[in-house]
Amino acid sequence: MGGIVFESVSKRFRHRPVLFNWIGKERGGETRAIDAVSFSAPPGRVLVLLGPNGSGKTTTLKLISTLLLPDSGRILLAEADTRIDSTRARRDVGFAVANERSFFPRLSGRENLDFFAALEDVPRDQRPKRIRWALGMVGLHSDSDTLVMKFSSGMYQRLAIARALLKDPAILLLDEPTRSLDPASAMQFWKLVRSLSEQGKTVLLATHNFSEAVSVGDSVVILRHGKVVGRKDLRSETAERLRSFYFQATGEAEEEMVLAAGA
Amino acid sequence: MTNRLFRLCDKLLAIARKDFLTSIRYRSAFLMTGLGVVAELAAFYYLSRAIGPSFRPQGMGYFPFLLVGTGFYAFLMMGINSFLSSMQESQQSGTLEVLMTSRTSPATLIFLNAVSAFSRNVLRLLLYLAAGLVILSGVHLRYENLLAAAAAFILSVVIAVAIGIMTAAIQLGTHKGSAVMWLFGSVAWLMTGTMFPVTVLPKPLLWIAKLIPITHCLNALRFSLLSGGTLQGVGREIAILAAFSVVLLPSGLLIFSYMLKRARLEGTLSFY
Repeated sequence: MGGIVFESVSKRFRHRPVLFNWIGKERGGETRAIDAVSFSAPPGRVLVLLGPNGSGKTTTLKLISTLLLPDSGRILLAEADTRIDSTRARRDVGFAVANERSFFPRLSGRENLDFFAALEDVPRDQRPKRIRWALGMVGLHSDSDTLVMKFSSGMYQRLAIARALLKDPAILLLDEPTRSLDPASAMQFWKLVRSLSEQGKTVLLATHNFSEAVSVGDSVVILRHGKVVGRKDLRSETAERLRSFYFQATGEAEEEMVLAAGA
Repeated sequence: MTNRLFRLCDKLLAIARKDFLTSIRYRSAFLMTGLGVVAELAAFYYLSRAIGPSFRPQGMGYFPFLLVGTGFYAFLMMGINSFLSSMQESQQSGTLEVLMTSRTSPATLIFLNAVSAFSRNVLRLLLYLAAGLVILSGVHLRYENLLAAAAAFILSVVIAVAIGIMTAAIQLGTHKGSAVMWLFGSVAWLMTGTMFPVTVLPKPLLWIAKLIPITHCLNALRFSLLSGGTLQGVGREIAILAAFSVVLLPSGLLIFSYMLKRARLEGTLSFY
């Protein structure tokens, strides 16, 4: 089982306006998405990344999954540097991306999972069982033979979680996993995350939701404008206390956070 | 080794199944493609009849000349285009990022997608050629000709794969690979001898035509399938195709790998 070490990682995105920019006024310069961020997530723990939109949560997850490469600093997965050994990241990391529609619309939920399971090296004879298990975990069993283009947002999100579970990853990255789920499904999902961490998996969960953070997290890292502005152990925290800590750490007005989270 | 090969075949089957299911579930497009082939064959047949039997480019009947030219041109271009469209679709649907984090390496993924795309088009090509050559023009093929044609065909596919990988890389780098593909397709249509022999082109264009590998693909395939050319007979074209393959395939992979790394650094992997 592997933990995550994120060591002074920085990531900037450059904006390069193209021809005739005087017509449309595309912005230039650069955005500092992550600025010297450091944290670690040991095996068997759930680390929550909390912060408003644009704080760098998704960038952090993408850097761990090697979808992005850092400008500086290093990321270690089970002590292996992702810049040198991206194979390990592809092998050990399951990433439930926030993009709900990252599926083949003309395939059913089961067919989509079967395709991704093949690419994840799940042995052919174990695939039906694993897919059934993953679909059961997210409560999609009865809709598994529906074409995904007919899915609702919540169903897409559940399918994305099922897909991330398929390869039985040592590290699970979840980007706002309950954003489109109803409260009952969200609570069921939190139980699933807890049980996965008890099995020794490292879970990194990005969210805006204080209840979600305290329900599943062992610890939290608060990000704002790409910087770590607070850390806290969550094992005996309440959503209310976390909320106060968050606003103290970020210096944001509470209304600002509510607007940013779209709550 | 056997285990690795088995896993590769398993992945190939999964990709082929996904492509097949997707194409048959676009029911009308699936039927239209079939009707399009029939309409194209009829158009070429009547075009060659209208031109008359006296026009024999490179000593061949014009109808078989057109059939082999357009059949293979379409096959190769569709194969090349499938890299671009699969890259564009996966960027637009968001599946690219998921695929890039799977246990299958990007190079393997692109290779397996290519095999699936070309296998899909092979069926269309075979139907096209069988209907045109054997039924309509009564051309009889011998074993030696088929051997030469197979060698030219395999090398042509390798070249098309290499160009396809480059177009996918261009899509990753510029997010507008279709513009490059359109330009390449138009130039190739004009200068590779699809509809007429390249010898009628002015000298500067003829030189450019010789630098496009598809010209040599079509030459080799026409001579082997229509003029009884054996492996030795089309040896020069085969050697040229082999040289193109040796240069283009590693170059394509290198360019793709560079563009992928750049996209990961700049955060533009899913931009389109």
